[in-house]
Amino acid sequence: MHNKIGQILKKEMREMIRDKKSLSMMLIVPLMIPLLVFGMSALFEAQMNRPIEDYNKIGFNYQPSDVEKKMMDEIGIDPVYEKVSSLKKKYEEQAIDLYVTKDGHTYTIHGTSNETTTLAASLVESYLSTYKEYLQQHYLEAHEVAPQEVIQILQIEMDVSEEENFFASYIVNYAFLFIIMAITISATYPATDTTAGEKERGTLETLLTFPMKSRDIIIGKFVSVSFSSMVTGLLSLLLVVLSLFFAGDMFKIYQEVDLMLSPVSFGFAVLVIISYSFLISGLCIAVASRSTSFKEAQSTLTPLTFLSFFPGMIAFMMELKTTVWYALIPFLNYTLLFTDITNGTVNYLHLLLMILSTIVVIVVVFLLLIKQYKSEKILFSK
Amino acid sequence: MMLTIKNLQKTFFRINEQKQKETFYADKDISFTAHDGEILGILGPNGAGKTTLLRMIAGILEPTGGSIDFDGVTYQEDEILIKKQIAYLSGNTKIYQSLSTYELLTMCCDMYDVPKEVASKRIDEIVKTLDMQLFLHSKIEKLSTGQMQRVNIARCLVHDPMYYILDEATSGLDIISSQIILDFIKKEKARGKTILYSTHYMEEAENICDHVIMMNKGCVIKEGTPSQIKKSTKTTNLRDAFFCLIGGSHDA
Repeated sequence: MHNKIGQILKKEMREMIRDKKSLSMMLIVPLMIPLLVFGMSALFEAQMNRPIEDYNKIGFNYQPSDVEKKMMDEIGIDPVYEKVSSLKKKYEEQAIDLYVTKDGHTYTIHGTSNETTTLAASLVESYLSTYKEYLQQHYLEAHEVAPQEVIQILQIEMDVSEEENFFASYIVNYAFLFIIMAITISATYPATDTTAGEKERGTLETLLTFPMKSRDIIIGKFVSVSFSSMVTGLLSLLLVVLSLFFAGDMFKIYQEVDLMLSPVSFGFAVLVIISYSFLISGLCIAVASRSTSFKEAQSTLTPLTFLSFFPGMIAFMMELKTTVWYALIPFLNYTLLFTDITNGTVNYLHLLLMILSTIVVIVVVFLLLIKQYKSEKILFSK
Repeated sequence: MMLTIKNLQKTFFRINEQKQKETFYADKDISFTAHDGEILGILGPNGAGKTTLLRMIAGILEPTGGSIDFDGVTYQEDEILIKKQIAYLSGNTKIYQSLSTYELLTMCCDMYDVPKEVASKRIDEIVKTLDMQLFLHSKIEKLSTGQMQRVNIARCLVHDPMYYILDEATSGLDIISSQIILDFIKKEKARGKTILYSTHYMEEAENICDHVIMMNKGCVIKEGTPSQIKKSTKTTNLRDAFFCLIGGSHDA
């Protein structure tokens, strides 16, 4: 049995290595990772370091006092004083970044939510908060109350570690999600080529006449496709680690963030990659072998490609945490475990459940494939 | 050595005009025996069930009913043993284009468990016999149709099979490429091999077949030597005999 699987594997590997498209899918897709990491890092850094002149033109519908003007100047606000209608028009024409109206003791900040408005609003809030504190202090002094006794009536000390760097966490999570995408793309092409492609080229009939069990043919094909996706996955992992290593030194957004995986975490990441490579290879072969042509197989595999990274993206957006049940759900579990690995919070039970769920899916896929290769469906597909 | 087919049948599902699923017989109750050193012709028009029949005998399709017995062994008993004794070549059979002729032949030797020392000697012999020295190390995709046909024959010979299953092997080939196949069939017959040869070229079959079964719409309509069939239908060639058997109509 092993001899036969080895012969099929040798045949498949030889074909894969000689096929430029398969080889490029296997090796070129991971090269996108450094671009992703450096590109996103540069983008976020640019956002963080945006000059104040980009968002400090603030409109006011009232004439502030000298004290207010001094505070605005210290904070960096470039004020524009006009009527509300004029301010509204200027805001629409993007001549100002935000405007503030005053009605008695109520100050209202006007604007439409976007990146510049958010930064401008933050500037205005900071100014108004400083001004409010100034007024409180003067009020208390006028009533002969020591301001410090009232303002600092409670002392609050923070003993909470700083929240995770949002930008760094975002980039790291997406870099790992990209590993999943790269593995999927890498598995799709050889899986299509070895099944529907072989059928289209007319060599499947020849293969089926060789003295070997359907099981050996399927295992040989499965191992070769898994090998391709594993090479992509491991190369991607290596490039993620290297990219983060270099990006950590180059960009301020990674300051005080530990980007390096420990050897144990690296081992866990390899385990996730191997499991996912097996799963996606099995699924791709199962789907593609039902198609009669390469083109048909590629169309059929498109939903599977989307399915492979949608759960991961949803998990990020909803900030899902790994649970026993989530660890059992294929696709979702790999992304969640990658997040746990980067956070250093891997639970061994979750890892075990992920492996078990992968094995169950692969066994079911194998049984279906063996049945399919034994029947005429493999030749005619209908 | 003897190949015995008994009541072999194969059904498929199809969707009829009323868009309902229905069963149809691609082959129905086929029985015959093929002996050593015999060329058994399987004749019939397109859609007669020849390809399905030969695919079942080659172990590519599973029969719905009946039995296939290679010298006392069935596929259920030992699929691997039977496949080692068979070579299957059809007009649709393609070979791995990215390999060279030599790589393909060594791969086939590996697949059929031919020992390395035997494989090397056998490949040398086949290459000389089929005059393939010039393109032995060329990629198959670069070969001409005739050269490719020789490679296809060579891959059938590497494991020295007892049975050759040839399905429309000369279909679509030019006169020179067809002759390569026909010469090969005659040589293997002389070596005592059993050859199942399907074709819709009746004249070709008449020239090389010892025994013939005529098929139409999945059924055997006549069996015998070419001369027996002609005699019983009172015709002078197998083509006329076939039309006589299906009721004189040319609409087979």
